[in-house]
Amino acid sequence: MSSVVAFFFDVLAYSSIFVLVVLGLGVIASMMGIFNFAHGEFVLLGGYTVYLFHSLGLPVWTGMVAAPFAVAMVGLVLERVVIHRFYATPIVAMLGTYAIGLALRESVRSLLGGQFYSVTAPLVGSFSFGEISISRWRTAVILITAVVMVGCYLLLTRTRFGLKVRAALENPALARASGISTSRVYAATFTFGAALAGLAGGLMVPIYAISADMGVPFLIKSFLAVMLGGMGGFEGAIAGAALVGATSAALPWAIKPVVADVLVFVIAIAIVKFRPEGLLSKWRS
Amino acid sequence: MTIDDRNHRPPSASRRLFLQRASLLSGMIALGGGSYLYNPKGVWAADPIKVGIATDLTGPISWGGIPNSQVAKMAIEQINASGGLIGRPIQMILEDTATNEQLAVTKVRKLVTQDKVDVVFGGITSSMRNAIKDTIVNRGKTLYIYPQLYEGKECMPFLFCTGPTPAQQCDTFIPWLIKNGGKKFYLPSADYVWPHVLNEYARKTIVKNGGEVIGEEYFPVDHNEYSAAVNKIMSSGVNVVFNTTIPPGVAAFFKQLNEAGFQKRGGRLACVYYDENALGITPAHEIEGLASCLDYFRAVNDPFGNQMQAQYAKLYGEKALFTAGSGSTGMYRGIKLWEAAVKEAKSVKREPVAVALDHAKISEGPGGGCEMVPGTRHVKMNMYTAVSKGGKYEIVEKSKGAVMPGECG
Repeated sequence: MSSVVAFFFDVLAYSSIFVLVVLGLGVIASMMGIFNFAHGEFVLLGGYTVYLFHSLGLPVWTGMVAAPFAVAMVGLVLERVVIHRFYATPIVAMLGTYAIGLALRESVRSLLGGQFYSVTAPLVGSFSFGEISISRWRTAVILITAVVMVGCYLLLTRTRFGLKVRAALENPALARASGISTSRVYAATFTFGAALAGLAGGLMVPIYAISADMGVPFLIKSFLAVMLGGMGGFEGAIAGAALVGATSAALPWAIKPVVADVLVFVIAIAIVKFRPEGLLSKWRS
Repeated sequence: MTIDDRNHRPPSASRRLFLQRASLLSGMIALGGGSYLYNPKGVWAADPIKVGIATDLTGPISWGGIPNSQVAKMAIEQINASGGLIGRPIQMILEDTATNEQLAVTKVRKLVTQDKVDVVFGGITSSMRNAIKDTIVNRGKTLYIYPQLYEGKECMPFLFCTGPTPAQQCDTFIPWLIKNGGKKFYLPSADYVWPHVLNEYARKTIVKNGGEVIGEEYFPVDHNEYSAAVNKIMSSGVNVVFNTTIPPGVAAFFKQLNEAGFQKRGGRLACVYYDENALGITPAHEIEGLASCLDYFRAVNDPFGNQMQAQYAKLYGEKALFTAGSGSTGMYRGIKLWEAAVKEAKSVKREPVAVALDHAKISEGPGGGCEMVPGTRHVKMNMYTAVSKGGKYEIVEKSKGAVMPGECG
């Protein structure tokens, strides 16, 4: 019994972290068609913000509140200075964002002296029910992810901003003709995606410790999630993320972890073969 | 200016731009990235001895490369300050291998062919050592000294290893773990060469001392979700988790293990690369009681080590500490043993230095003196077992004299 509960909790907790990381990437990829290879480093910057607050002696949660704003500012500056030049050429955008990511990662590395540092979670320890123990901080992350997911959904489907974003995606020429400044909308979308990455990084830091490579393990699987979910819809990215996160966490319970790691990709590729448009895609409809 | 004017810019502008960019690019190529030259201070009559240091100053392994390069610089400056070596100063050429084996081969080729260094120190990971050793030793005809703790079995001539081997890290440590943890071991590991080969030795030692291995499991090196392993550990009554998973994933693993209550029920966590730098990876309470076995800890509190720590801290601060797990003690030991060998050989030529290095000995070092075991190109050294308490190590056991490396014999 206890291991069944542990299994479901751990799969849910890991999927939540994963969804949180993919959310920002998915927003940028599906709303703007840009594959942001610096996403892992945006996550890292979020984590670094929390680490900075922590090392200055401020409460960790203040850092977590500040992280999305700090990373949003970085995202906005990068979009205005560099990324907006890439919109016409997605391949160049990949290389460009990869280069930006590399520069950010190595800068943080030299700031950290190449070392790893821990940040204590605002909620320490675990809830115990008999033999079952449930990590407090992971529970908090699951709840925050749910709130953020709902918030994003409402923002993109129920607000004026969301309407403009979708309009700019579906038909940029018509959107411009209707008086929407697509360049501003793109800047705002990119900033928003960066903020989500910052939040993900901030919440992850107590679980993974801060190091320059914090975002790297998530990047490739995040792209897999976006591909799996299908471009064009933001719900698709979440579904993809949940699936990739859940299989990554669940498979090692049954088979060798090294095999499981490969199998995640095999399963994803098989799904893409049978549903090339993605799990929940609106792209071709 | 009309729009037409803008579209018909004079051609010289773009030519100028082309020339600017071309000169910038060629300048960057000519200078190369990540090469640093440290000339000896003062005026010397003799030509300098050239020492090449090839290590990972950037990339994922820079946690080890940065303190490695710093301790090398400190040791070489000390030698220069005390009158140099056989009357000559030492010039240090530092190459950043950037945690990239292909790049590293180019870098060490530069060291041995262009700079013509007399000895190369460096490499942290075994894959790095394997990538660069042939270029240094066989094609470059240069002496190579590898400083990091590793899985053993490196018996190439002219390649000397100055870090601890599996025998040194297991022979005293595993009996201690059985006595202070229990008989049931679990071996969660990262899937690369060091954990595989180390576990082979650890398993033998566990069984020989009356313990048993409940599970041995390999994870992708960048794995960061360990719930399945934690569950197996918790449900199978494991007493000792002998960990070789690596950062950054190890932070998540230790946290999950702690939150599941492994330590609370009396479990013992063990990890043989864990040094003072690694203590920062997780909050102290999550690794309370973690045991490690290395050739040096600050807590050894020997006068020589303390003095080195003070000097190192004055030069480089408290960010990348001088520790054993980063290969920094191995680097210091390597440089001092090589110094002793050059003094005996009265030459920096490879063959006579190798002959002298084969039995070189230093009476002082962090954690005590050490000596090469003749014919093995490995070092006999003191080993210490330490336990983490409140974020600091306490020494719980010291080896009876120097421990044999058990390699290439």
